[in-house]
Amino acid sequence: MATAAATPEVFTRKASGLVRVMSPYSAFIYNILTMGLIFPWTYLWAPGALPGGKLVWGILLATVFEIPIAFAYVWLSTALPRSGGDYVFQSRAFGGIWGFTLLMSGFVIWILQWVALSGWLLSYLGFAPLFLGLGATTGNAALSEIGVWFTGANGIIITSIVNAFLSMLLLVSGFKNYVKVQYVMFYGILVAFATTLIVLFTTPQAEFVTRLNEFAVRSGGVQNFYQAARDAVVGAGIDLNPPFSMLATLLVAPIAWTSLQWATYSAEQNGEIKEARSFKNQVFILVGSLIVTGILLALLAMAFERAGGTEFVYIAGAGYWSLIPEASISGFNLWPNILAVALTASPLVVLLIAFGYIAGAGYWSLIPEASISGFNLWPNILAVALTASPLVVLLIAFGYILNSFQIVNNCYIGVTRIMVAMSLDRLLPEWVSKVHERLHTPVNAHLVYFLASIPVIWAYNKVGGWIGLTLGVTFACGYVFAATSLAGAVLPFRAKEVYDASPGASYKVNGLAGLVLMLIGAAAFVWTTWEFAAVFAATPILLWLVRLLGLAAAAGVFYMFRGQLGGWVRGTAMPWVTALGTAGAGVGFAMVVAFLLAPQLGVLGNWDFSNLPSSLWSQIIAFGILILSAVWYFAAKAAQKRRGINVDYAFKEIPPE
Amino acid sequence: MPLFGKKPASKTTTVFFATDVHGSERTFRKFINAGKFYNAQVLVMGGDIIGKMAVPIIQEGPGHYRATLQGRTERFEGEEALQALRERIGTLGFYSKVLEEGEFRALAADPSRVEAMFHDLARERLESWVDLAETRLAGTGIKCYVTGGNDDYPDVLQALHRPNAEALVACEGKLIEIDGEHTMISMGFSGPTPWKTPREIPDEELGLKIEEMIAQVADPSRCVFNFHDPPVDSTLDTCPLLDWSTDPPTQIVKAGQVVLHGAGSKSVRKAIETHQPVLGLHGHIHESPGATRIGRSLCVNPGSEYGEGVLRGVLLNLAGGKVESYQLTSG
Repeated sequence: MATAAATPEVFTRKASGLVRVMSPYSAFIYNILTMGLIFPWTYLWAPGALPGGKLVWGILLATVFEIPIAFAYVWLSTALPRSGGDYVFQSRAFGGIWGFTLLMSGFVIWILQWVALSGWLLSYLGFAPLFLGLGATTGNAALSEIGVWFTGANGIIITSIVNAFLSMLLLVSGFKNYVKVQYVMFYGILVAFATTLIVLFTTPQAEFVTRLNEFAVRSGGVQNFYQAARDAVVGAGIDLNPPFSMLATLLVAPIAWTSLQWATYSAEQNGEIKEARSFKNQVFILVGSLIVTGILLALLAMAFERAGGTEFVYIAGAGYWSLIPEASISGFNLWPNILAVALTASPLVVLLIAFGYIAGAGYWSLIPEASISGFNLWPNILAVALTASPLVVLLIAFGYILNSFQIVNNCYIGVTRIMVAMSLDRLLPEWVSKVHERLHTPVNAHLVYFLASIPVIWAYNKVGGWIGLTLGVTFACGYVFAATSLAGAVLPFRAKEVYDASPGASYKVNGLAGLVLMLIGAAAFVWTTWEFAAVFAATPILLWLVRLLGLAAAAGVFYMFRGQLGGWVRGTAMPWVTALGTAGAGVGFAMVVAFLLAPQLGVLGNWDFSNLPSSLWSQIIAFGILILSAVWYFAAKAAQKRRGINVDYAFKEIPPE
Repeated sequence: MPLFGKKPASKTTTVFFATDVHGSERTFRKFINAGKFYNAQVLVMGGDIIGKMAVPIIQEGPGHYRATLQGRTERFEGEEALQALRERIGTLGFYSKVLEEGEFRALAADPSRVEAMFHDLARERLESWVDLAETRLAGTGIKCYVTGGNDDYPDVLQALHRPNAEALVACEGKLIEIDGEHTMISMGFSGPTPWKTPREIPDEELGLKIEEMIAQVADPSRCVFNFHDPPVDSTLDTCPLLDWSTDPPTQIVKAGQVVLHGAGSKSVRKAIETHQPVLGLHGHIHESPGATRIGRSLCVNPGSEYGEGVLRGVLLNLAGGKVESYQLTSG
């Protein structure tokens, strides 16, 4: 028989209840892993592409820009603690067409590119150094040949497909099996990261050049590497002491956002997180993981610059951005962790660093002198080069392989949950959401995603220029995150009862102060659109069209709050989530626009109308994916209507009165 | 076969099924309105309709109150604020009662009085829900079938049996004619749970009760089995394995991981496998929504998010002894 009891000022009776399996700490770790301390794009890309930009400030700016977005997710997650996160939030706030189109394009389709990327990392930076290192340390030419095979397109394609297949098997065998691996990776990365920081902060600057040169020789590079790289970079017309640039510093932020925008990825699994309705827990999971990662990335930038000096940062960046081969070692660019490995003489330190890291130098700038023997200065390559022990080579490669493997797992985990949610809403075929009776996992969703990744893996390695779309994922996922932030802003008005029943409903801000925050977000967006529309300077119609669209979009956001604006001006309380959500959406969409209009941020920003359509292939792909997703939504809706199913019912709230 | 399935037959009955609202005022109101909203002719509520928590609103002085909700103690004043809080508490599926400080202390010290209070508050809410259904569904032709679940007090469920009711039917233990083609039988009991809830029985006994009901059905292939407990290992019953020896029950963790298992009923599964009904309607495990097939039978569990004021449900189009199409909703 049930009994009843009084806990502090609440009476409860015994009844069966919902139980969730993921602890807030696990979710916190998951977000840090997803943000990827192992993705150090910023350190070489930013100095190479943005002379005068300050790395540390750019990273901290990205952290600050992401904070309001992360807070909007806190409110959304506590109000709607369900799996499928962004898809649920957006479809409820804006309707199915927006939720489906943005998530299908931004996550489901674009993240296929990251499945391909993780395979590339695994093959090129995991297996290739493993076999090259073993070949070099054992004098076995056959092993070296295997290593070379892993650097070729066919080797990478086969490795990538096996990588994706193994991840699928691991995840369909049960989420718990992945979580076991996750803890190993997390602590391995932390140890590697801490070791890297210590090496970079403690190496005397006087010894830096000597150690780097010694390492380059051992790695098959040139004598006097540092000077050769410096000469090549200067010869390419690159200024090694550019004056400070505020604009360049601002543009570092979107690059750092490539990592930091993933602070909210645990929202896809809210349905599995214990006490997901707790405001405190969600602040810890979402905002806490962001701040910790932001600080760690900024510390690494500081250590990187301290170790070799500002001039070295530009040499390393030139190896990456300007493709100067002399500024990389064996083709590996001078990422901070590679540098740390190069600066230490201890195999143990090398092991610790390489275990947790990915790197890649010479990647962006393509200056051959900025690499050693054609390899950019990825950390594991440097680590392999520094050791004479096959065992250490093996262990280093193992750590690197684990990190690459983690990326593909993250792709599957988030996207398959969204696919299941879409299938249950009848927008993807029914069999996509079928859960295996014994394994309790959506096997079909994993299988579909694996099969869909195969052509992308092929294109990534065979189609010229496709690899340049890698960071288009930041653009695409960026518009998802920014739109969700806006969904948070409108939550109190579009899902009032859900919001009112949530623990965050009691947090309010003075309307005028809230408006200021909203205006800051809007100003960031309008300014970015206005400034970078200059990419269309040769086509005034486009230039002004983009600028006016930017203004109209900002005005449209305020129009959504037309019923409340008057009151807020008079100081009536505004929900905090509205102020933070709008501010976050403003800066988020500003960074998305920067990716679209600033050529320094990748291929999407290169608008060349000289040879249509091939000169705009990346933009055609990006917008084509959006259009395809919208067309799919309407086609699925029409097909279901013929079967007596109204897809809109999946998103519409029944009026209770 | 088309990607999204084939076209339905022309004559269909649309059924809307929801379950486990656990006292949530808001989700039950949505449930009653779901017939008109979704153009459903039949509404089915699958059990666990009584709330789990009562929030005492303690009067500290004239017009001044305090209450603890979601771990936070809030103080407020005025009748408007009091009413807003009571509505919020109702949305979450909790009951509320205004008490003087002394009344609260006395009540808290006597578990039997707390138990009695729960019965009174639950009965009061259930009676108001029957009134609501009769009022809102009058003249619409929509029928609303409600059964209890394992969490519901048997004496409180009597409030569903109102002799003159026209729209709301307490359907448990009855053979219901849904339309000219399909019937429905309902079972709100479940197998044993670690919480020792009011209406749980050994699984074998549950099987016997189910077979007794099925014996009344002329054609099980055109019958809907509205059984609160889902079939075991069906993907509609996945939840963490719990240690029954602790109070409250705790998750069993192996190698640092929570162990998941199928917590449904073997008897329910056997009944579905043997008799192959057109449809199985289930609830009980909130965290395991979905749809699956056991042989020809479609089985669904919409899950529950009553605490968020969200009504999770399933819309089903029945025709000719088949489920022509279905759709999970979140309204």
